Amino acid sequence: MTATTLAGLTGAALIGLGLYGVLVNVHALRKILAFNLIGSGVFLVFGLVARRGAVAGFAADPVPQAMVITGIVVAFSATALAIGLLLRLHERRVEDAAAESDNRSDNKSDKT
Amino acid sequence: MTALNPASLWLLAMLVVPLAVLAFAVARPGRFGTALLVAAPLPGLVAALLALGGEPMAVTFPVLRLSLALDRPGAILLGAAALLWSLAAIVLPSFLEGDRHARRFVVCWLLTLIGSLGVFAAADLVGFYLVYALVSVPAYGLVAHDETAASDRAGGVYLAFALLGEALLLMGFVLLAAGEPAGSLRIADVMAALPRSPWAGTAVALTAAGFALKMALVPAHGWMPLTYTAAPIPAAAVLSGAAVKAGVIGLIRFLPFDLAGSGEILVVFGLCSAFYGVAVGVTQLNPKTVLAYSSISQMGVLATVLGMGLAAGDVGVRLDAAFYGAHHVLAKGALFLAVGVALSSTAGRSTSFLLLVAIVGLGLGGLPFTGGALAKLAVKDGLGKGPVGMLAVASSVGTSLLMTHFVWTLTRLAETGAERRVPRRLWVAAAAAAIVFPWLLAMILGGEVASLLQPAILFASAWPVALGVVLWLGLVRVRGLLPAVPPGDIVGAMERLFRASYGIADGFAWLDDKLRQWAVAGVALLAVTVALLVAL
Amino acid sequence: MPLATSPAGYLLVLAIVLPVSGMVLSFVLGGRHAERIALATAPFGLAIAIAIAAEVLKTGQPITYIVGGWSPPLGIALRADGFSAVMLVTSALVLPAAMLYARAYFATPATLREKRAPFAFWTLMQGLSAALAVVFTGGDLFTLYVALELLTFAAVPLVCLDGRAETLEAALRYLLFALLGSILYLLGVGLIYGRFGVLDIALLAERTRALDGDTRALLVAGALMTAGLAAKTALFPLHLWLPPAHANAPAPASAVLSALVVKGSFFLAVRLWFDVMPTLASTAAMTVLGALGCGAILFGSVMALRQERLKLLIAYSTVAQIGYLFLVFPLASGAGAWTAVGWTGGIMQVLAHALAKSGMFLAAGLVAEAVGHDRISGLRGVGRSMPVTLLAFGLGGVSLMGLPPSGGFLAKWWLLLASVQSGQWAWCLVVLAGGLLAGGYVFRVVAPAIAGEPLVLAKPVARGREVVALLLALGAIALGVAPDGLLELIRIGRGG
Repeated sequence: MTATTLAGLTGAALIGLGLYGVLVNVHALRKILAFNLIGSGVFLVFGLVARRGAVAGFAADPVPQAMVITGIVVAFSATALAIGLLLRLHERRVEDAAAESDNRSDNKSDKT
Repeated sequence: MTALNPASLWLLAMLVVPLAVLAFAVARPGRFGTALLVAAPLPGLVAALLALGGEPMAVTFPVLRLSLALDRPGAILLGAAALLWSLAAIVLPSFLEGDRHARRFVVCWLLTLIGSLGVFAAADLVGFYLVYALVSVPAYGLVAHDETAASDRAGGVYLAFALLGEALLLMGFVLLAAGEPAGSLRIADVMAALPRSPWAGTAVALTAAGFALKMALVPAHGWMPLTYTAAPIPAAAVLSGAAVKAGVIGLIRFLPFDLAGSGEILVVFGLCSAFYGVAVGVTQLNPKTVLAYSSISQMGVLATVLGMGLAAGDVGVRLDAAFYGAHHVLAKGALFLAVGVALSSTAGRSTSFLLLVAIVGLGLGGLPFTGGALAKLAVKDGLGKGPVGMLAVASSVGTSLLMTHFVWTLTRLAETGAERRVPRRLWVAAAAAAIVFPWLLAMILGGEVASLLQPAILFASAWPVALGVVLWLGLVRVRGLLPAVPPGDIVGAMERLFRASYGIADGFAWLDDKLRQWAVAGVALLAVTVALLVAL
Repeated sequence: MPLATSPAGYLLVLAIVLPVSGMVLSFVLGGRHAERIALATAPFGLAIAIAIAAEVLKTGQPITYIVGGWSPPLGIALRADGFSAVMLVTSALVLPAAMLYARAYFATPATLREKRAPFAFWTLMQGLSAALAVVFTGGDLFTLYVALELLTFAAVPLVCLDGRAETLEAALRYLLFALLGSILYLLGVGLIYGRFGVLDIALLAERTRALDGDTRALLVAGALMTAGLAAKTALFPLHLWLPPAHANAPAPASAVLSALVVKGSFFLAVRLWFDVMPTLASTAAMTVLGALGCGAILFGSVMALRQERLKLLIAYSTVAQIGYLFLVFPLASGAGAWTAVGWTGGIMQVLAHALAKSGMFLAAGLVAEAVGHDRISGLRGVGRSMPVTLLAFGLGGVSLMGLPPSGGFLAKWWLLLASVQSGQWAWCLVVLAGGLLAGGYVFRVVAPAIAGEPLVLAKPVARGREVVALLLALGAIALGVAPDGLLELIRIGRGG
């Protein structure tokens, strides 16, 4: 079992665990974290593609490394967007719940 | 556009003039001259007369991929239809007076008119489908005009059958187009390629089925009684007279008469419709419903004629069927106008009125000296002397029976008042057209009219009519024993079946609910991946 | 396909750079300038798209542009074939129309320097325009990944611009499922690179054609990428995010989402199976895609029949129409005389749906604004008070039903013809059933709308906005009389 094969299996395992997490978890934050886990697995696979594509003199093929960098940026922005939406959703839910209980207490006071 | 001779310009005008009137009606809400509505079909009438006179007429629109051409059967039907549309439009001013939905009615009227006239001249598949859609779909606005529960139901049923027929037709046309190796969509080319096409049988079956739905052949007849009862009089007149003939011209164009084929199926359905229409029609009390069942019966006779022609490989049956259809256009339209006269004034009770109605109606059964007799004679040879021929004579008896019943229902009609008046003169003009037009047509077509006035032929036409009247006189005594059949008969069962299928939609909704849960969707994603992997 | 820059290649760069610079400028200048910049650049975008289409038609070849003079495999190529060109023109028509319509929704009030929702809307629309340009012209798989993500990130916030909890939820669900799809796509890209060492589509096409031996990595990659793209296109059964997202977004956003955004990922799926790996597209796999498409048609149409809200009905109708798109896979792949017909039918369906659906969503938005709600049961008589709007909706419906003359009819005709000629009869039944069901749900809305008394409107609507919706719907009808030049254009550079 070479290092490359081990890396590949790890990557696959990360992807698998991440998929499981995305599918099974109910809370959005956990889904986002699981998505990042998948992302890490995919980047690991890219890394090993780079290693396998190494030509004379280089330790690894630079193109997949460039792709990983881009991928990390994209995944980061995706996570940021998702967290932003999640935070705003949470705030909004709190506001809505407060407004509703205000309404209910108003209605109660109307009745008395 | 290819170079046009003056005659072909009339063909072009046939479509362009109603379009112009439509634009005018839409742009200028309020009163627009109904003279325009009467004039709109007239270019079509001129085109038909020119074509009958032997002028070659063809128009091709390169951009729209639409081509028009008029042959004799098409011209005959076109002339009759254009005349009826024009006559019926005379009634519209009084009908639409003070109607909030007048503009909607006029728009639907004009769209259906364009389709109805165009369908007799369309010469390529896509163009034919276009005008066929125009004659079928906007008619919903005419049927459901009154916005009562009955008219909404009638409109819905009508549209369901129309769209189903169009779906069948589309599939048939695609098969016809697929069988044409050069990719041409012209009807002439497509029919010529039919013998060598691997899908010939299915193509003809599907197109015939689509047109059969339009002609309300049993068992797809349920929409007709509902529709013609619910539609206002002028709409019912043009729909039963002219619009239904789109199915007839379809069969004339798309049945491969030059190859003797299995027309027996068409004959069976036709004869069933012919007798079924009479049988159920005598149980009805509303004159409009009786007329609808009469249409079902008459379309059945036409189908029988075409079926016998197909079985025998007789190309001339096209002209005979067109001739018969043209008489029906005018006769049925006139009879609906008669109902309008009866509804709007006490003149509907007078003996002279009822006598004229009887003459036109019995003409459908073949009363001597009327145009109907000529129509019956035209198709007699095609039906032959065998069992089909005898059944056809029996159906003449049935038609006469039904028409006598119709006159009787008119006498029992409660007058609804004089607001929507059909002028008596218009009715007389329409009746005269129905009686006289076929004779004129026969003379134009070069037939020897005088020879048809021999006593033997007159007697052969007369006895079925007389028998029909006598049978009715007997039937009226046992009126109470007749079952009360709701108009549309089996449509009620079809509607119940349709509503029962709503459960399937509930099943879909349940499935959607499940699929839209995150975990299920995620698993579905993985399943799709695996399925693709296995399939690759 | 040549690996050198065509004479008109600069047009491709312009098509991308224009909206990108507009977006950046909007972000910098902020406030109401974003709206002005977006509207000012729109006509130029249309001119560039038409120029690209004209050039492709004239030369009969795809246009290529090698970015920075660096040839693939190390550099990036931009390529526009017939399909790209017609998609560019369509998006250059739909986006400005939606923007003109949206001026009333997203105007910055005179008293404020900047407001959140309008600023976000105008900037994001330009971002969407840029992303679509890259999707349609990108020439290698990784650029397309970036473009795909750009498309998602520009589209997701459009869903929740009004800031309500339910739209935020819909947007979050959309984002997460879309991200799942794109990460699967990325994994596939990695596997392909691992196998071949190149990402450029033209080079990959050569190598897969010359391939013999081990194809396992490619098959896994193909399956992953297709599934991921199907998730982003909301193909049944992966449609969970589409109805809430498209129905609850503001009308101009819904129009653009249904008409263009879902077509972006579909475009990539077509590129994958018709340009990158045509020889590996097994009949079974294409049939699987076609079968899922059939499921979408039947399922989406039946669900649309059941909806109470107008915008949800239109959204489920989108689910159904996407199913027609996927019929292009079994009908245009492989070798056979019918594939050209199937291809033309599929592409025509994309165009007709884009125009018809955007018109319908804009019309529905007008109705919702004018009446105050979009419950179908409460819309009796709306056609009599808003005839132009109902006409737009009705004409869009005519195209969806496949009645002539419309682009939808031609698409249906060609798909049926291809099915018959290839002997794949099953698709015929579903296409016809889909047309009947579409007739059902269009009738459900139109029939009560033209009956009864004119509905009393809570708010009148501007005639100009009605006309915009009507023009889009008329575009779908106009496709029905498409000149042969358009059909020729669609077939240029057809892969396989």
